[in-house]
Amino acid sequence: MNPVNLSTQFAGITLRNPLITCSGTYGFGEEYTSYCPLEALGGITLKGVTPLPRLGNPVPRLAETPAGLLNAVGLENPGLDEFIQSYLPKIRKLPTAAIANISGFSLEDYVQLARALQKDSGLAALEVNISCPNVKHGGMHFGTDPQSAQEVIAAVKAETDLPVIAKLSPNVTDIVGMARAVQLGGADAISLINTLLGMHIDIYQQRPVLANTFGGLSGPAIRPVAVRMVWQVFQAVDLPIIGMGGITTWQDAVEFMLAGATAISIGTGNFVNPQAPLEILQGIKEYCEERGLASVRDLVGLAHHVR
Amino acid sequence: MLTKGQVVVHESLGDEKHKLKRLVLKGPIARTAQAGQFVAIQVQDSSISSFDPLLRRPISLADISSENDEITLLYRVQGRGTEILARAKEGGVLSIMGPLGHGFSLPEAGELWLVAGGIGIFPLYPLALSALSKGLTVRLFWGGENQSFLESAGLSSWEKLGIPLYLSTLDGSLGQKGLVTEQINDQLGQMSLSSSQIWAAACGPKKMMQAVAEICINVKVPIEVSLEERMGCAVGACLGCVCTLIDETGAKVHKKVCQDGPVFRGEEVVWDESC
Repeated sequence: MNPVNLSTQFAGITLRNPLITCSGTYGFGEEYTSYCPLEALGGITLKGVTPLPRLGNPVPRLAETPAGLLNAVGLENPGLDEFIQSYLPKIRKLPTAAIANISGFSLEDYVQLARALQKDSGLAALEVNISCPNVKHGGMHFGTDPQSAQEVIAAVKAETDLPVIAKLSPNVTDIVGMARAVQLGGADAISLINTLLGMHIDIYQQRPVLANTFGGLSGPAIRPVAVRMVWQVFQAVDLPIIGMGGITTWQDAVEFMLAGATAISIGTGNFVNPQAPLEILQGIKEYCEERGLASVRDLVGLAHHVR
Repeated sequence: MLTKGQVVVHESLGDEKHKLKRLVLKGPIARTAQAGQFVAIQVQDSSISSFDPLLRRPISLADISSENDEITLLYRVQGRGTEILARAKEGGVLSIMGPLGHGFSLPEAGELWLVAGGIGIFPLYPLALSALSKGLTVRLFWGGENQSFLESAGLSSWEKLGIPLYLSTLDGSLGQKGLVTEQINDQLGQMSLSSSQIWAAACGPKKMMQAVAEICINVKVPIEVSLEERMGCAVGACLGCVCTLIDETGAKVHKKVCQDGPVFRGEEVVWDESC
């Protein structure tokens, strides 16, 4: 039997396997190397970068919930200049594909970030986090208004020669509408899903646990929501999907691929098991072998076929 | 390092009303671990696949025995995670990441003053052993709720070290009634030693460490403190557990308690900011 072909290509990105790590859970690639060699990963998505340095939110930034984790880190990052000067030289040398994640509070922020990050920077792609509030428009989120989302993606697309991945927020009524909007904006791929907005109250102290009151929920608790959104977007939009949201085991990863994800990304799952990516990859491979599938790409969207 | 540690001993520590537990695990972590470092432990037995609670729990190393490949964790049962951990059976297997973080540093010579509040005593024991084996003089200042607590939390093992102990209890049932800081001030007042020969290491409630750090900084005694914060990844990737420090230029910077700490120099810490 021939070995399963794990490599995958989409949106001009070539990965040795479909396993990526999520932005904000894997630093700039150096933190987990003693647990999971980067050579084993298809790629990593770097911590989100904004034009200016940000100290982020006060602590507590984390609150654990049933099978989930609320976080309100607040985009703490070194800023674009420091990212380019201190981090990019190291990132170029990483033995895996590196996807930068960019965040802004205005259209101009995104334009500035996209202009600075091109193919010659050594990055594989740009993931655009459109979940931040649009400060200029009264704090409305780019990620919840289709028109704004389309504009941001189009602006980024016009500035960079890197493949552009739109990371969508699940905090919307119509995820398909958002996916169509970023497709119109020219997105090359879609990351689904970002965290779900939530909160947790300490009943003894009678106040919110997070200093920021609200946080983004991740972890196995949100997986069914993510799978549903991947399923819907796969049916409606002809763009490759990077599926994420609570993937912790190989079974979770296979579920996302069957729903329509071309690649899958591990986030909070790394905190639970820093070797999860290795175990997931092995599990996907065996799952394909057992079913006589020649390539992991054969799994994508398989559950949509009527039997 | 991600390892599976077999539970060698798991028992109540002292009077059960204090909910203290002693967990001894077999595994290779002891070979490289230092006092002040910690492990991130999965509270469920690794034979059970469960994601609730989701996160590992950071617990400091209370004893490190490289010859037996054993580490000891002492902890207080005070939440769902530690309640589940408390049920781990001897012979069972727990998933452990570690050793993690940066521990205490040891002076080359002189006196090491250890300052503990409550269960902050636990990571100081291996530090005392390292210091004593290096020929340093060690004193312990330890404050707790009452006599029963101090006895349950390992007072007898400290007495066996034969070092001066300055105990404080809130109710005066053992040692001096009051706070540990009063004992430190008393001793500083009586010292014939110059403060340049003293080093301090503190672990306990934040307010206590802040007060101790202020005393030490005033008399120019270098002090290290072990900070605590809710952790996500425990390796510096998620930025969940940041603390605020003052860097060399006087600017406020964030450091990660899990990776840059948990031990920091007392004079660097900005105590009054939640972040």
